[in-house]
Amino acid sequence: MSGTSRVEHVTCLGCGCGCDDVSVTVSEGRIIEVTPACPVGRAWFGDGSIPLEIRRSGQPASLDQAVAEAAELLLEARGRMLVYIGPDLTSQAQRHAVALADLLAATVDSATSTTAAGGLLAVQQRGRAGATLGEVRNRADVLLFWGMDPAPRYPRFMARYVDPTGTHVPEGRRGRTLIGVGVGPDPAPKEVDLTLTIDPSEEITALSLMRASVQGYAREQRSPGLTQAIAIANRLAKARYAVLVHDAEPGDEPRNSLRVEALIALTQALNGPTRAALISLRAGGNRVGAETVLTWQTGYPFSVDYSRGHPRYDPAERGVGRLGSDRFQAALLVGTPALDGALSGTLGRMSTVAIGPRASQTPFATRVAIDTGIAGIHEAGTAYRMDEVPLQLRPPLEAQRSANEVLRALVGAVRAGLGRSQS
Amino acid sequence: MSAKAQLRIAGGTVHDPANGVDGEVRDICIEDGRIVQTLPEGAPRLDVRGMVVMPGGVDIHSHLASSSCNHARRLLPEEHAADPAPAPSLDESAGSPRSGTGGTVPTTFTTGYRYAGLGYTTVFDAAVAPAMARHSHAELDDTPCVDGGFFVLMGNDEYLLRQVAAGERERARDYAGWLLGSAGGYAIKIVNPGGIEAWKSGQRNLNGLDDVLAGRGVTPRAILETLADAANGLKLPHPIHIHCNNLGIPGNAAVTLATMQALAGRRAHFTHLQFHAYGGPGWSSGARPLIEYVNSHAELSVDVGQVMFGPATTVTADGPVEYLLHKSSGRKWVNIDIELETGCGIVPLLYKDKAAVTALQWAIGLELFLLSADPWRVVLSTDHPNGGSFLSYPKLIQLLMDRGARDQGLKQVNPKLLAGSTLADGLTREYTLNEIAIVTRAGPARLLGLTHKGHLGPGADGDVTVYARNPDIAAMFATPRYVVKGGALMVEEGQLRRAPAGRRLHVRPGYDQAVVPHLRRHFEAYSTISFENYPVQGITDEPIAL
Repeated sequence: MSGTSRVEHVTCLGCGCGCDDVSVTVSEGRIIEVTPACPVGRAWFGDGSIPLEIRRSGQPASLDQAVAEAAELLLEARGRMLVYIGPDLTSQAQRHAVALADLLAATVDSATSTTAAGGLLAVQQRGRAGATLGEVRNRADVLLFWGMDPAPRYPRFMARYVDPTGTHVPEGRRGRTLIGVGVGPDPAPKEVDLTLTIDPSEEITALSLMRASVQGYAREQRSPGLTQAIAIANRLAKARYAVLVHDAEPGDEPRNSLRVEALIALTQALNGPTRAALISLRAGGNRVGAETVLTWQTGYPFSVDYSRGHPRYDPAERGVGRLGSDRFQAALLVGTPALDGALSGTLGRMSTVAIGPRASQTPFATRVAIDTGIAGIHEAGTAYRMDEVPLQLRPPLEAQRSANEVLRALVGAVRAGLGRSQS
Repeated sequence: MSAKAQLRIAGGTVHDPANGVDGEVRDICIEDGRIVQTLPEGAPRLDVRGMVVMPGGVDIHSHLASSSCNHARRLLPEEHAADPAPAPSLDESAGSPRSGTGGTVPTTFTTGYRYAGLGYTTVFDAAVAPAMARHSHAELDDTPCVDGGFFVLMGNDEYLLRQVAAGERERARDYAGWLLGSAGGYAIKIVNPGGIEAWKSGQRNLNGLDDVLAGRGVTPRAILETLADAANGLKLPHPIHIHCNNLGIPGNAAVTLATMQALAGRRAHFTHLQFHAYGGPGWSSGARPLIEYVNSHAELSVDVGQVMFGPATTVTADGPVEYLLHKSSGRKWVNIDIELETGCGIVPLLYKDKAAVTALQWAIGLELFLLSADPWRVVLSTDHPNGGSFLSYPKLIQLLMDRGARDQGLKQVNPKLLAGSTLADGLTREYTLNEIAIVTRAGPARLLGLTHKGHLGPGADGDVTVYARNPDIAAMFATPRYVVKGGALMVEEGQLRRAPAGRRLHVRPGYDQAVVPHLRRHFEAYSTISFENYPVQGITDEPIAL
């Protein structure tokens, strides 16, 4: 393979923005250029090189051998295993992963249950007032960034959804008022029209008062911060279409768990005097896809336990942390999990099957490891943008081995094994 | 050479109204998935003597496979916890079935199994935003046992509104053709024409047919005319499928009637008419003038959208009405505005027979059924899950067939708003089995233009439902004795035996390609999805021939 080629309209999954206007230049099977350049996207694409190994107890094996061994291991652990869906899979592959969990009476969870559960649970309590990202671009005349600056983690958010002209905002950025509220150490964006910093101890009070004000019954406040917060609420209520933005996966440090629900309540209330939507920024990969697939197959977006023969919701227990309990004998990791060192020790001690990008390079011992491509870089299919818009993936590199195909084969092997055990 | 799969469904009393068969004892023969005239003597037989044989049910209007349904599923963990759905045990070699959860919006596999258990073999999702079409196809891929497709939401889409404003009706038609093909959809669905854009742009709603969308000079009337002509011009198998303006508002029958009149002889299907049949200014029935107009206009058809008492979830693109429901019910509420296209609103509800308005809604639905003169143009629906789950169809059939059950129901409900209601005055009509066969399969299949569905003549799909007679009509229709799909036994006495993948029903109309560069410019100016990435790829079933 020689020469340079260029693939247009590539969908980047570096963060949840889901930009599908990316051009990728490929030479000698390596990515050499990504435009428009965005640091998160460029890091995500890298040069596209990934390992392509298949290992059985550390030794090279054929795909057939590895799939057969994986099926056998998982069948032995039926009812006592965790299927963990990492974010770098297509939704087609995620469907197979949930099927495996069902067939194997497993618990299934995804990469988002630790980081985004608070928002999902709040939605289940209240519902929400939201919009797809194009509505931000086409309608938002007032935007409020709450305790977050999109620049570092969502570098093109402003360029894609705030700066351009929209159907109802012909002046683009100049036609919009941007308000930034910093919450303690969580900064507001730098280039806004109005800023306020709120002490974390006053955050939920501020959001509650803002809602009360929108609903017409806030009293005067003594705290200057709260007074300003109410003024901001009044500005939002006078918008034509207000958009509130927060980071639904703000990283490792826990934020006030009531923040999301308070933001949802405020946004819903704003739909009395005007129209408003809350945008929950989500990180990269197809993590929203995992929630979406889980929902249509189980009714729940994360943390689902099939051990009684049907899906049960267990939102209090999340992530791979639960593997410490002796309920689990095996783990099937599909896609790349987020792991800390202690968990690596646990995983190394149990029967672990890893299928996905760089599965052969896990920092713990696996019984079976099958490397596959990365959704969007090597694998075609569907991934969901942070706003749950399903996007077509147009991978710039060829898939040497697709997670979708490997998981399909594993489903077949597990089904065959179940058939044998029942007859 | 492998033997052709054959099945003789022998000795049943057949109701095949499309072929003029009303309760005749005859055999139904199926070979290779299709109905045939006859089979050799030794062909496998299913003895159904004494039983009632009908084509498989066809649901013309349901919400089962869409991003909106998935938002609703996610909103309702309490319903799922209360209704676990373990995997059915299929016949050996029939594959591994899947578990799921139920409630008013069941998971995909469970939805397919439950429709099959009811004797339905074809189902359409009535409201899919084209940008979310890829998601609907994925859900349908995981909805076994039923053939199906979806209708594509238009009438609040930016590009269309611009063409209507500019009087570019031909370009609007070509766009509609492109959009249906890109989405892999089946028909044009119009929800609250112009009203969703009004909701999104701060005007809140449009209430009359000639209300003007602010700053655009576009009216619901112009949208309806444009899309009705587009559907005809594109030779679509199903005409425009209309959810009128003002859903759920007292007095809305006036705008519904005006909409029927506005279409002036064009074919159109008016969906969940019950929700649009309220007299005014207070709450009263407006059913009679509407159904009488439909009776005398052969180009119009309706489905009823019956309200059934019990839990329901309202799921609609009609954002403004869901806001009102949220405010009046105090229940949790989802609103999602979908860029350049439409909206989405969700509120769970409980329809109580002791609630006066709900009792009126229930009565209006029944009035529409009982006052209709032509069952071929009045389809049974609950607008699942809006008026109630599809699982309540058997009870609805009982209300139509059994006046005693209906009168019993009338005694239970809150009578406050029923004074002067035609139903309360004693409608005596009882639907026959043949009329039930029409409103649940033959009629909807014909209205959808599905020539291979809804009947049992040679060439039709081998989808057959067999009911054991039972004086308890609800029980009879809730548990068919057999359901045959594509010539293979799928359900036997409530037990799922097989769960075949369904076939995708979609269209790919021809259109003038000149619209494409114009559309591309529109995408480049306003869309956050690349034009090249927008169309759904890889639908394996061929489109329906137009």
